[in-house]
Amino acid sequence: MTIQPRHPHLLKLVDPPILVGHRCITCERIAFPPDPYGCEKCGSPASNFEKWDLQARGSVQAVATVHRHHRPTPPTPFTVGVIELVEGPVVKAIVEGDGVVVGSSVEGFLAPEEPDDAGNVIVDLRFRVTR
Amino acid sequence: MNASSLLSTRPVFVVGIGLHRYQRRSDETYVSLGLAAVREALSDADVSWADVDAAYTGTALLGMGASRIMLSKLGATGIPMTQVENASASGSSSVAQACLEVASGRSDVVVALGVDKPRGGLGAAPGEAGIANLEAGSVVPFTHFALLASEYMNLHGVSDEQVAKVAVKNHRNGSQNPFAQRQKVRSLEEVLTEPISGSLTRLQCCPVGEGAAAVIIASEEGIERLRIDRSRAMQVVASATKTEGLYAEGVGIDAALTAETGAAAFEEAGLGPTDLDVLEVHDAFAIEELLYAEALGLCQPGEAAARVESGDFDIGGSCAFSPSGGLLAMGHPIGPTGVGQVAEVVRQLRGEAGSRQQPNARVGMAHMVGVGAVCVVHILRKP
Repeated sequence: MTIQPRHPHLLKLVDPPILVGHRCITCERIAFPPDPYGCEKCGSPASNFEKWDLQARGSVQAVATVHRHHRPTPPTPFTVGVIELVEGPVVKAIVEGDGVVVGSSVEGFLAPEEPDDAGNVIVDLRFRVTR
Repeated sequence: MNASSLLSTRPVFVVGIGLHRYQRRSDETYVSLGLAAVREALSDADVSWADVDAAYTGTALLGMGASRIMLSKLGATGIPMTQVENASASGSSSVAQACLEVASGRSDVVVALGVDKPRGGLGAAPGEAGIANLEAGSVVPFTHFALLASEYMNLHGVSDEQVAKVAVKNHRNGSQNPFAQRQKVRSLEEVLTEPISGSLTRLQCCPVGEGAAAVIIASEEGIERLRIDRSRAMQVVASATKTEGLYAEGVGIDAALTAETGAAAFEEAGLGPTDLDVLEVHDAFAIEELLYAEALGLCQPGEAAARVESGDFDIGGSCAFSPSGGLLAMGHPIGPTGVGQVAEVVRQLRGEAGSRQQPNARVGMAHMVGVGAVCVVHILRKP
């Protein structure tokens, strides 16, 4: 049995989880998700990027509960939030639990999904309301 | 020479329009759909296929090589034919290319066609770019726009019902359009049923079906030589295309991109938002009409919902928004959509829109955005 993150390049499996973005050494732009090609601000190639840890904490700018989805997972209804991370970048991610509204403070956590037949578990980043 | 001086140095006109009704996917081939639209446009302009110097086909879903197998059935004249793909704005970009070709002096009469049939998915290339993101698999376009709706409603104190009234209006307009996929008047109560994502319901999301639209673009010389009816020729006074820039984190890219592209088009035309009598916008989701009304400067931020409620964006109001029914009711078959918008604006400026006619329409705009992100805006004027 193994535990694997759904997005291995985007996350560090620590508690609380860390989002891995990039910082452009040339223009200092911090971005998430990390990009393997080049900087949208100054055009530097990705060889000029360094990995940049971002705390999985922020505030909800927008929220929508999805009632129809084209795949069995995630099962509906689920709620997606636009989250402004404390260090600036904005991400969209699933927010679990009741009571999420625009302005809610949220934090990331690693949620296990259903194990496969071999018992391997995929964990994915979710957010939940802290206040 | 920039596009602005090109369009004013060698003016271009839409002289013919034709459509195949937008509809759910059927057994009808894209060849049949496209030919119906082009034949109608040729007939509308009263020109023959032999008079056409070049053709651009806007399509995102058909695959390579769609034009010749279709258009050669009008006569294999050997003219240049080019497919144009620009996501949802593919048809708009085929119009842009046709305008550029005529304005450049290379051609006098060019067809811009949009045709598509839906496939299993959209096959959008950004998903294949190798850039992982958290939301893949959970955020599809309707949720992207549901999130924009959430942000907008929270910021401006606008209710679900107010956003839904955009759809009520556009379904009412579509009920008067024989080319619309959805031709039913819908009550606010009906629009508010069947939630999809966030506040967006099924009837606040556009149907993606099949269809075709064609316009014929001509120069003054072409109009003279072919004795085309000048009174029905509407001038294209702006053709602006932009892609997403680097905006501040959290800014809704669709509105920011629309604001930039709209401003470029207004500058090119020497016109402003208060000059618009008719506006076909990319209302794939109801919230978009509100976002773009504000981004294009037709009202102040936060005012658009009240303007919809007041009837100001109705046919007969200060600017008729999506008199065709828009993407919400006329439909969004992808390739045809942007061409169909231009056809509707031309019909309105000619005064030939019948029961959905905006009175005294003299200036109109067609606006599309597409995945990627791209925005294409055309402004047309009755000479």
